[in-house]
Amino acid sequence: MITPAELKNLAKLARIKLTEDDKKSLVKEFDSILGYVDQLKKVEVSMDAEARVGAVKNVMRADVALDSTPEEREALLNEAPHTEGDFIVVKKIIAQD
Amino acid sequence: MTIDLKNLTIQKAHDSLMGGDFTSVELTQAYLDEIAKKNKDINAYLEVFGDALEAAKKADVKIEEGRRKNESVPLLTGIPIAIKDNILIKGKIASAASKMLENYHATYNATVISKLGKEGAVFIGRTNMDEFAMGGSTENSAFGVTKNPHDLSRVAGGSSGGSAAAVAMDGALFALGTDTGGSIRQPASFCGQVGLKATYGAVSRYGAIAMGSSLDQIGPITKTVTDAEIIFNIIKGRDIHDSTTIDATTYSPKRVGTKKPVIGVPRDFLSGDGIDKEVMAAFEASLKSFQEKGYEVKDISLPNIAYSLPVYYVVMPAEVSSNLARYDGVKYGLHVEGKDVIDDYFETRRAGFGKEVIRRILLGTYVLSSGYHDAYYNRANAVRAMITQDFIKAFESVDVIATPTTPAPAFKIGEKANDPVAMYLEDIFTVTANITGMPALTVPCGFAEREDKKLPLGLQLTARHGDEKTLFEVGKEFLGE
Repeated sequence: MITPAELKNLAKLARIKLTEDDKKSLVKEFDSILGYVDQLKKVEVSMDAEARVGAVKNVMRADVALDSTPEEREALLNEAPHTEGDFIVVKKIIAQD
Repeated sequence: MTIDLKNLTIQKAHDSLMGGDFTSVELTQAYLDEIAKKNKDINAYLEVFGDALEAAKKADVKIEEGRRKNESVPLLTGIPIAIKDNILIKGKIASAASKMLENYHATYNATVISKLGKEGAVFIGRTNMDEFAMGGSTENSAFGVTKNPHDLSRVAGGSSGGSAAAVAMDGALFALGTDTGGSIRQPASFCGQVGLKATYGAVSRYGAIAMGSSLDQIGPITKTVTDAEIIFNIIKGRDIHDSTTIDATTYSPKRVGTKKPVIGVPRDFLSGDGIDKEVMAAFEASLKSFQEKGYEVKDISLPNIAYSLPVYYVVMPAEVSSNLARYDGVKYGLHVEGKDVIDDYFETRRAGFGKEVIRRILLGTYVLSSGYHDAYYNRANAVRAMITQDFIKAFESVDVIATPTTPAPAFKIGEKANDPVAMYLEDIFTVTANITGMPALTVPCGFAEREDKKLPLGLQLTARHGDEKTLFEVGKEFLGE
């Protein structure tokens, strides 16, 4: 049901590197799982039915920024793999020709 | 002195602490001793907190002060509790049993932790789970499986297997777990404990590592329904940090039964060979015991209930794929070097996530992707609304819906590891409460015999939105509390 090419595309969208072995087993598992959930296609539904969990509705708050304390900032930066001073370091995003 | 941990409850522990029968340090040490004896075999705990006795000492000071001044002290003061590895305690590791967060230290407290901390609870350690809460056996943990204290060759259940095992092995008086498709109730059932997943929104999810945000709830695993009620009343409540939280005014549950709540049984769903004979026997015996206590038990119909599981396995992976996108090796967690910034993500996520997590992320990506969105995700949401309506309609004539918690007792470690769908089918009775957002409680209701071992079985009770009160009342009466 799912082709290796489709699976490769999903992995690309999800930013997960897959080996050839990963892809082989995933194709089989996908088919098994999709085969199972496909029974939903048989149900007669009104597609306007909005999914809502109980009485959940939109909740607004004031658009006000809250400052962190120096301690909070330090704790957060401590968790980042690469930092430099108060900054989190990442690789260059835009390539230069 | 030897403390009778097996028969302890929150109230008994509190009375003993206040009465001076034992101290919190002694109580905490008693649990630590049990953990030292049993944890290497059971693997319920991933980490026992080094400062647990410190916290117990502080609790003893409060207890003594209370006794001196003849003032009451919060109920949980000095009582050791176990916390699932996906609930944040500031300064402590919360790894969601994943290599992705193996060394991540929480930078804030989950709301439930703040609340329990204020009540004086002693956090004794973090418990094992299926990685990122994905699984029904704790076999998906990156740090080894948790074994069932009733039979070490079998699973403790999942994803809150560690929490359920910790309570069952007397490694804590109670534990917190999370439940997205049954992850509190199923392991509680497998380990012979009580487990509660309350109404969606009743307990704040702030500080719980997100899995499926429209499904997740934090909840207690305890020895008694009374204890579950005590913990629920402490951890529930509206929270500005979680806008999906509700309060007592959100729902106005109205009972149908005049003297006692009416119990409904979805008979259509319980026919067929999928359910173990001993499970059905224990279930029927439970219904009989309700009738003997004066409850009316009637058949109800839930026409679309068979679609609950497929709905869950479309909606949940979709939400998972979105929630786990944050693990990119930049802000926290594992970082693996790639050849450029995007490759960093590919490498990091492949290395940090286990097989089941990757499977679900990809499945979620698929059902949300262009071309498939309508056929899968939108359709599943529409069916979700239909199933919820079925339940609401059923609650026009009954107050509690009863089913077994699981179709069979705890399975052998490795038995279902190679067949994802077989594992998913274990959730068949529990997912409905997450799909509909309704509260559900599991209580121990007997045993199945396998190879001379007695394996616990659970009875699941589901109530209408906001009606935890009825669950506690019926559960307490069932267990004779």
